[in-house]
Amino acid sequence: MKTTDALILKKSDALMFFASVASKMRLIAPKRFFGGDVMFDVIESPKDIVWEYGHDIYPPKRFLLPHYEDMFRYKTGKSVEVEGGIEAPMQAIVGIRSCDVTAIRFQERFFSNPIVDPYYKARLDNTVLFSLVCGKPPRKECFCMCCDAGPYLDAGFDVQLTDLGDRFLVEIGNDKGREACAPGAYMLGKAQPKDFAERKQIELQADSLFETQAYIAKAINYISNNDVPEEVWEEIAETCFRCGACTNLCPVCTCYTVDEIKLADGSYVRSRSWDSCQFAGFTREASGYNPRPTPGSRILRRFYHKASYPYIVRDGRHGCVGCGRCVFTCLADLGVPTVIKRLRRAMPKYFEPQEKAAEV
Amino acid sequence: MDQILTTCGLCSCGCAMYVRQEGGRISGVSPSAHHPVSTARLCIKGWNALPALLGEERLRTPLIRKGKHLEPTSWKEAIAYTASSLRQCHPKEIGIIGSGKLTNEECYSLAKFARSIIKTPNVDSGSRFADASATGALLATIGTSASQVDLNTIAHAGSMLIVGANVMEQLPHIGSRILDAIENGCQIVVLDPRDSKLAPLASTYIHPEPGTDLLWMRALLRAILDLKLCTDSSTELLGFEELRNSLESIGPGQLAVDTEVVKEAAETIAHNPPLVVMFGLGVMQQANSSEIVKALANIATLLGGSIVPLRGQANAQGASEMGMAHDFLPGYGMLSDPTSRKFWGIVWDCELADEVGMSAVDMIQSGDLKAMMIFGENVALSAPNSKATSAALEKLDFLAVADLYMTETAKLADIVFPACSFLEKDGTFTNIERRAQCVRRVLEPIGESRSDLDIMADIAAELGTNMQRDPKKVLNEIATGVTLYRGISYEKAGESWGYQVPLNGVIPKLIPVSAVDVPEQDDAYPLKLVSSRAIFPQHTGSVACRSSVLAREYPETYAELGEADAEKLGLRAGALIKISSKSGTLTRRLLLSDSVRRGCIHVPHYFGGDSPNALASYECDPESGVPIYKGLSVKVEAVK
Repeated sequence: MKTTDALILKKSDALMFFASVASKMRLIAPKRFFGGDVMFDVIESPKDIVWEYGHDIYPPKRFLLPHYEDMFRYKTGKSVEVEGGIEAPMQAIVGIRSCDVTAIRFQERFFSNPIVDPYYKARLDNTVLFSLVCGKPPRKECFCMCCDAGPYLDAGFDVQLTDLGDRFLVEIGNDKGREACAPGAYMLGKAQPKDFAERKQIELQADSLFETQAYIAKAINYISNNDVPEEVWEEIAETCFRCGACTNLCPVCTCYTVDEIKLADGSYVRSRSWDSCQFAGFTREASGYNPRPTPGSRILRRFYHKASYPYIVRDGRHGCVGCGRCVFTCLADLGVPTVIKRLRRAMPKYFEPQEKAAEV
Repeated sequence: MDQILTTCGLCSCGCAMYVRQEGGRISGVSPSAHHPVSTARLCIKGWNALPALLGEERLRTPLIRKGKHLEPTSWKEAIAYTASSLRQCHPKEIGIIGSGKLTNEECYSLAKFARSIIKTPNVDSGSRFADASATGALLATIGTSASQVDLNTIAHAGSMLIVGANVMEQLPHIGSRILDAIENGCQIVVLDPRDSKLAPLASTYIHPEPGTDLLWMRALLRAILDLKLCTDSSTELLGFEELRNSLESIGPGQLAVDTEVVKEAAETIAHNPPLVVMFGLGVMQQANSSEIVKALANIATLLGGSIVPLRGQANAQGASEMGMAHDFLPGYGMLSDPTSRKFWGIVWDCELADEVGMSAVDMIQSGDLKAMMIFGENVALSAPNSKATSAALEKLDFLAVADLYMTETAKLADIVFPACSFLEKDGTFTNIERRAQCVRRVLEPIGESRSDLDIMADIAAELGTNMQRDPKKVLNEIATGVTLYRGISYEKAGESWGYQVPLNGVIPKLIPVSAVDVPEQDDAYPLKLVSSRAIFPQHTGSVACRSSVLAREYPETYAELGEADAEKLGLRAGALIKISSKSGTLTRRLLLSDSVRRGCIHVPHYFGGDSPNALASYECDPESGVPIYKGLSVKVEAVK
């Protein structure tokens, strides 16, 4: 990275700086709710930004791929009327974690290849990501380090902020980031070698603090080669509550369902909303045949998407960014790290040479 | 796009969730990360069922019957017609049924409305069709009709006895605590006639013949006493001798019980304290449900454990504490107790007679009523014997129904009030761990719909009495009158994660458990019906079945039979079958399953339209008046 792209923002200027960013776009940032709950939301003033927020549960992907989204309205009958454009306000997502930025880059590729999703594209085109380096893992469930998605980014951000105590190191990743910072550029100073030294220290320290490990590489081997026997998946699925939270809250997951909703005035709305591959109805075909008929086969499907070569080739990386949301939102304990651990533990049994097994 | 914190009203767990709306429809939902129940998690219903509360078929105006049809009318006319119809009846000819889906404020107001404004003793709730058998039996034993532990305490249990509950599917947040407990080494003993999702997790899984739970529980009590497993202090409790005497023998039909298994179960739960005893509708809707609950409470007390009744509706707990019942007043003030009668007589400015009114079942069955009002309960499906129940409701001179949708019950009404969902009103729900939590208005009521509180206040006003419409002021009245809720206020409940109703410090008692005869096999109806709640349907399916995501999970309603039974009956998998009892019939697609005991047929509940309750008669548990829905004798044949 060129040093010219690295700047310094004094914390005493941060309010003013983000107010100047807000002159061009709405600000979305971690906001305090009831009883310690923090979630990303549109904020009125930069004063409301909660910088020390840990980790939110409701991923900011929803500002690009809304949980529920009206695509258009229409009337049927003699004259068909269709109305509604894509609502894509200019917005900056401030304080977003590295894992979520990586996930958005994944979704960007998914939604533009081979067919461009105009809704996603319009929103992302108007969104600037001010990501925040994690000086320590925000939650014990985090494992982005195993997934090459954090706790800091080398690329993929529009603007990356590192908290250096009394100031932020501001790295500008592209023109979009540069343009968003332009109104407040006068508040940004040039970063000095000692700033980089401090930044390096923070990175080293952050790396050493992770408590959760997921040896995703090994899992990719097993899953890609289809080595995991069906019964292992079914055993894992035994405790699944089928809530679908793991996919709802996964910042990478892109699946949605489409409903035609009739309104009181007789017109219709085509609405799309998050859907989950963990539901039987998700893959059932019109004939009644379901290629993923059991809970185990559906968990396999999810992991095949998250960690297998064919998808890595298609999507450019594996489909898990280690944000840890599937860990703490699971009613059972079936987050990615646990499932991978259980696969690893189960597999040697199946790889034991036949003769050896016969001896025992 | 405001995110409003509210309490989920889809089951009794009571998760805190943030709900967003745009233009009168849901635009987002997420769990609270810090709430003690939700802890960043929701279940399949919480995530997916909210849009179905605001579906396109929501009732938007009051409806009035004109001949065979229900036609839209104004609120003014609907209320005036209701009031004049009620005036034509003697108060005792009027019956009122509420639901555990109403808020505490509405449940309390409904009891007050019935007793002090309509002046009828005939007031009850949908709990009569479900969990009411726990109320009396638990008050008589542990002294409180509620769970003795918090949800998070369940995660630290050393052992559990879970009877007749599909808890993993019905109440996932309790299921999740059970998994946590197992992770910590908890031993699980389960009694269920079919293999539920607990089967691979349990250390002892007992498949009793349906209808024999009382025998098994008596045997378990006997084993605890014989093996001297009970805690030292429990032998000094009131009623110990009487209990022991009542267990001289297990009772007729004891051959149905495997004493070795019982011994093993008794040792497991006694040697792994603390014990948590849970029971679901499998117990509460069985024959002699009150006796089984008493036996379970005795087991918990003898072993120093706690008891958790697994109620279903969001506010089933609160509905009973608010006195929405024919046999007691708010705070479980008994009608036979002159002090309670006098107290509530003064508070409500009315005369309360020492007279137990009709239970919900009696209201339907007796044929003595001329008018009924039903708030939020789809009686046509939740009451037994759907055919006779629908006929009885149709026969009434006047029936008013308040609900979200045109339910099977609303179709029979003379007046239908469009009620609003918990997303459109303020109030409180008391969850399964006695936590009274704020329900907040997320969006304006759909169409002209009104809260049940407003609807009853409108009727009261037309009858010439003003009723409090502000839920916060109603809660203040509850806080002054109901001892359990003393000091609660909407503000206080909103300052933290709700107000936890205290356990009132009563020392548990032991009481005798009587033996009963095992029902004889009826050769004309050789199979036993096992009904359960599948993963998403709740209540009678009027809401959840309207969710596009949930309804697609089961493309068709089904029944499960073991392979051997199917072969004997000459039935093939996928066949359309007719299940009939003396009271009714039901058509289902047949699936073969290993999870059903021989001689049983499993029918999951509430996929919309009909219910296995249709097969039940009006036969009830004598003590609580809860109908017998479980273990019914049925026969199965192919549909020709």
